[in-house]
Amino acid sequence: MRSSTVDVLIIGAGPAGLSAAIELKKAGIKEVRVIEREQYAGGISRHSFHPGYGVRDLKRFLSGPRYAKFYVTRAERLGVKISTKTTATDWVDKNTIKLTSPNGLEQVSAKAIVLATGARERGRSARAVAGKRPDGIYTTGSLQQATYLENLYIGKRALIVGAEHVSFSAVMTLKHAGVKTVAMICEEKRHQTVFGIPTLLKLIYRFKLHTATKLLEIQGDKRVTGALLEKNSKSWVADVDTIIFTGDWIPDHELARKADIAIDRRYKSPIVGKDHQVASSDIYTIGNLILPIKAADQCALEARKIAKIIAKRLHKVKV
Amino acid sequence: MRVSQFDLAIIGAGVVGSAIAREFAKHDISIALIDSAADVGDGTSKANTAILHTGFDMTPGSLESKLVATGYQLLKKYAKEVDIAMEPLGGLLVAWSEEEVANLPKLKEKAIANGYTECELISSEQLYKLEPNLGKGALAALTVPGEWIIDPWTPIVAFAIQAKLAGAQILLNTKVEKITYSEYQFKLATTTPDGNHQISCKYLINAAGLYSDEIDGQLGVADFKITPRRGELIVFDKLARELINHVILPVPSSMGKGVLVSPTVFGNIMLGPTAENLEDKTATGSTKSGLETLKAKGKKIAPALLDEEITAIYAGLRAASEHADYQIKLHKVNNHPNYLTVGGIRSTGLTASMAIAIYVKQLLLDSGITLGSEKELPKVVMNNLGEATVRSYQDENKIKQSPLHGQIICHCEKTTTQEVLDALASPIAPTNLASLGRRSRAGLGRCQGFYCHSELRKLLEKR
Repeated sequence: MRSSTVDVLIIGAGPAGLSAAIELKKAGIKEVRVIEREQYAGGISRHSFHPGYGVRDLKRFLSGPRYAKFYVTRAERLGVKISTKTTATDWVDKNTIKLTSPNGLEQVSAKAIVLATGARERGRSARAVAGKRPDGIYTTGSLQQATYLENLYIGKRALIVGAEHVSFSAVMTLKHAGVKTVAMICEEKRHQTVFGIPTLLKLIYRFKLHTATKLLEIQGDKRVTGALLEKNSKSWVADVDTIIFTGDWIPDHELARKADIAIDRRYKSPIVGKDHQVASSDIYTIGNLILPIKAADQCALEARKIAKIIAKRLHKVKV
Repeated sequence: MRVSQFDLAIIGAGVVGSAIAREFAKHDISIALIDSAADVGDGTSKANTAILHTGFDMTPGSLESKLVATGYQLLKKYAKEVDIAMEPLGGLLVAWSEEEVANLPKLKEKAIANGYTECELISSEQLYKLEPNLGKGALAALTVPGEWIIDPWTPIVAFAIQAKLAGAQILLNTKVEKITYSEYQFKLATTTPDGNHQISCKYLINAAGLYSDEIDGQLGVADFKITPRRGELIVFDKLARELINHVILPVPSSMGKGVLVSPTVFGNIMLGPTAENLEDKTATGSTKSGLETLKAKGKKIAPALLDEEITAIYAGLRAASEHADYQIKLHKVNNHPNYLTVGGIRSTGLTASMAIAIYVKQLLLDSGITLGSEKELPKVVMNNLGEATVRSYQDENKIKQSPLHGQIICHCEKTTTQEVLDALASPIAPTNLASLGRRSRAGLGRCQGFYCHSELRKLLEKR
């Protein structure tokens, strides 16, 4: 097995990971390597085509893919080594990680390891929604990838479960895929996004938002044929062939937990101390691995801050 | 209309039908294995609880007891030969009440009567040492070291592939509508996506599981009625795997083996199944009440389990008949011993499958049919998907041979692109995502396709 050493190893090339890598480089850290398990760097923003990225961190108004490209280009230009198609599979010790890639197996040791593995949406199973297992069930993430990256057929009429920020992004993706959003539901008494967005989107895309509403059962055998909904003990069937589960985030904390890092009960995020450092280790966490969910630009800004602290510490060690 | 002619046709390509096809494929006869689904093992078999049963708790002297005990050894040997994932975990039958404690010695005796002598009674102290994460209140346990866990899907595919390579035809998407008998031939009117297909055969085996009573009915046989018994299951995240070390079994009742908590060879923890008698043979949906029942039971058995994420929920229908034992019988149609029913096979069917196949063949041989000599079956080697082995992504040599073995496509299950391509190129290739998942685990993990859904669909639809 090959082995190598770097100053900082970052796991995850989303906005947080890339932003941290850029900042570390700017602060004079020599060897910064970012590991990405997907085929391309950029994280979720890579397949999130609506505009609104980069406002807080770059003072620009970009689409997700352009935002992702900006960060990847910037990092590469500064000499960050980005390894795509590369998965961090396990720990050798708290400063060494095992990798798998088409180039083979590898062990990388680092003075600091930054976990930027992000979060994913809970899907149908994780939410334990009753019914069979027909086609036509997505998360926003899988919907965006199927629509924008692979251009696959989605369906005709969709129900969106959840009314978070990301849920409204799903409405736009569905529109792009030629799918009518019939309704959006959430169990909470009101939506959880920015004031004004629901009203605006409901007007443009003409769907109903049902709050305090539960999805009781998915109907259909091979393909979704309906969704049994309930509000105030009254139930009805929404005539849909597609159901999008949005939000309800869970951190991708597998690697963190493999290092025996404790997680908090509410969000299941790793418990970290000041400066996002894991107690008595050189492990740091950034981005949406620590919930509640943040927008990409917030993650990037936070990552900059943590990167500066890491850089300062590494310089001190050298002196 | 397409017309084909075979010596033997088997209706139902579940674990039992596939094992039977494989057994007869050792002989120089023409065989059709027929199923209405798009894949082998796509009905009841796919929702099996994945335990290699010793048969310790069967009714002594029953056909099931005999076939499970024999099948256990056969499947274990076969799984080693063709590289199917197994783990020698052992079971712990846990008593939660004084009444159940009193039952344990009886179960030990029953095990001995079934020819299984390795059970030991252990105290609650010993039990908690073995299973520190068990819920409070366990009073004692009976160990069943031979209860292993196994990949429940690969045996079916391996059986069917071997049968196919030996010359059997695997006719999927083929629904048997009507069966008639004339001129010493069964005539099966079937429908397929490409039109009607009439299949004639001299011998017919009914391994149609949930529909075995209806197939019987077409030929005037009415030995049993199938009552679908729904079993719901919850599969927990791999991060829960270290909570449980054994197959945690409840003390059995008349409705079946009860709700168990068991690791899977894929590194998850499974909770289930429920048992609910139904009428509808297509009611394979999870239900709110079923899921709640399971969660409540799981909370009692291993409370920490409920803090972990749920990776999958599903439900299967056991093809239970009103009889306690397997219903395997050779019938005479037009005075010829030419029709054989294999019905009433429940959750032990996976373990017993290879023994059932041999038993079925013997029944036909005993009735006087000749099959000629046995030939060696073509060798197959499956992709071992078990966590206890070195997976492709961990194998330096494999990655050297094909860099696509180093490219993980399903991050949750760590399935590589090469494994998916191999599955798609197999002699019985998957045609949908669920089948692809059973062959490679791709898409079956915790994110349920958040990351890989569209990539997998692209590869699948390209073929």
